[in-house]
Amino acid sequence: MLMQLVVNGIVVGSIIAMGAIGLTMVYGILNFANFSHADFMALGAYIAFLLNVTLGLNIILSFFISIVITGAIGVLLDFLVWKPMRKKKADLVSLIIISIGIALIIRNGLIFFWGGGSRHYDLPVLKGTEMFGVIVTYNQIIAFGTALVFMIIVHYLLKYTRTGKAMRALSDDIDLARISGINVDKVIQWMWFVGISLAGAAGVLYALETAIRPNMGWFLLLPMFAAVILGGIGNPYGAIVGGMIIGLSQEISTLFLPSEYKLGVSLAIMIVVLLYKPEGIFKGTKI
Amino acid sequence: MIEYLVAIGLITGIFAIFALGLNLEWGFTGLINFGHVGFLAIGAYTTVLLNQGGFPLWISMAAGVVLAGFFGMLVGIPTLKLKADYLAIVTIGFSEIVRLILLNEDWLTRGPMGLHGFDRPFEALIPFDYNYFLFLFTFVSLAVIYILLEQLVHSPWGRVLKSIREDEDVASALGKNVFSYKIQVLILGSAIAGFAGALLAFNLQYINPRNFIPMETFYAWIIVVLGGSGNNKGIIVGAFMLQFFYSGTRLLQDFIMFDSTQMASLRIMIIGLLLVVFMMYKPQGLLGKKEELGLGR
Repeated sequence: MLMQLVVNGIVVGSIIAMGAIGLTMVYGILNFANFSHADFMALGAYIAFLLNVTLGLNIILSFFISIVITGAIGVLLDFLVWKPMRKKKADLVSLIIISIGIALIIRNGLIFFWGGGSRHYDLPVLKGTEMFGVIVTYNQIIAFGTALVFMIIVHYLLKYTRTGKAMRALSDDIDLARISGINVDKVIQWMWFVGISLAGAAGVLYALETAIRPNMGWFLLLPMFAAVILGGIGNPYGAIVGGMIIGLSQEISTLFLPSEYKLGVSLAIMIVVLLYKPEGIFKGTKI
Repeated sequence: MIEYLVAIGLITGIFAIFALGLNLEWGFTGLINFGHVGFLAIGAYTTVLLNQGGFPLWISMAAGVVLAGFFGMLVGIPTLKLKADYLAIVTIGFSEIVRLILLNEDWLTRGPMGLHGFDRPFEALIPFDYNYFLFLFTFVSLAVIYILLEQLVHSPWGRVLKSIREDEDVASALGKNVFSYKIQVLILGSAIAGFAGALLAFNLQYINPRNFIPMETFYAWIIVVLGGSGNNKGIIVGAFMLQFFYSGTRLLQDFIMFDSTQMASLRIMIIGLLLVVFMMYKPQGLLGKKEELGLGR
């Protein structure tokens, strides 16, 4: 039983981690909590649904096209909303409220076009395999494997590419980055692309695990914020570790708590961190 | 027709009270509470449960208000010393947990079945349609809360709140205990939401967790943002504007090809869009004073 929950926790944790990377990058670089991030996961899942089921493309192609489109929408929003607000040197609290407005638009846009019910990708139904008494479904293996590959890609991007290094510089000190000649707007647009397309990818993987629903992101928002805060804001590696811890704790908690209260576990962990170690377990850039 | 207007007026009055609580927090102090509905729920359920447990209505209502304020304090403790974002994150989580508890603890709340059969103020004494009385009761409460809040925000205490909103470092440099002020505001704002919750229960006569979905919080937000943050008069106007928008789009329903789910989602999309547009181009709202609000300058 415990081992089964650990397996489920690792899979969900890797999905939370993937979403949390984008959330923590925005938080670290632009300095605000983006409440629309989770709804981009749902958006990614629905775009993939549109491609896979409505247009009949195969799922792998749909997955990749969907994350590119989702990421592009993230960049478009930078042009429409976030960049003008940066130019105005807007108060950070306004950005948070704008982000909730965007969240409402996306979530209800999905309901408008696809209704409130669950949907599924056009996939062959594969039975799970049993290993040492633990059932692992193929979708779980695919979700975890894909998440792992994406996290490795992000690691290389941040460590070895010019843009990635610039992103880390922005996260440390945006003004210092600007005077050292970094094109801040361009790097921020790349950050939106990477962060939001990761969210879209995580959304498709989560939909494989569960179902495609307009409010699927909503149930991951709190766990993602918990992961970001636990791992130290602005620290993508912290977000990955935080995501795994949150995913595992949520699943293991069902041993002694009704599973309806999984979200409560995220909230409880977050409050303990805020009370005793608000900077997170790894060094975050800002608290 | 008059019954319809009274029914609509009632909802508007209750939402105006609910939004006045949020305006104290966001409009005057700059606190982002995304879980305001949680306190509405605590007020409603406490009032109903205690009353059903045999307590007099006034005591049950008072307990609902106090408990909502108490939870406001609990939520504030881990978050209000940190940046504004943390309160937003924790409150949105808190309100969801409150709803999940209401939904799942059947032994206490009857879960999704909800609660009905409870007293309403002076119900036995009213010889005419009770809704008329409740309408009066709601608007007298609204007037009292409005006047008290106006006095509070124009007192020295209220001026400290505005200074916290504009620049809390200045407030603390002047020797004000910013954390303590913020906690007081969150207690008071949540207590007002709790009171609105009791009124909501009286109006609905039947409460269940679906009345307390996260969207209710954002109705209060759009009222505050439209009406003008930090402007209590604007809040009341904002509540009427939201109601007008709602009733108007409901009347339009018959002429549009969308079904009711699509119409509901379209309505919320418009609210989301208004939030974005107002925060970008007119953060002081329709009636707020731009000189007073430092946002976006």
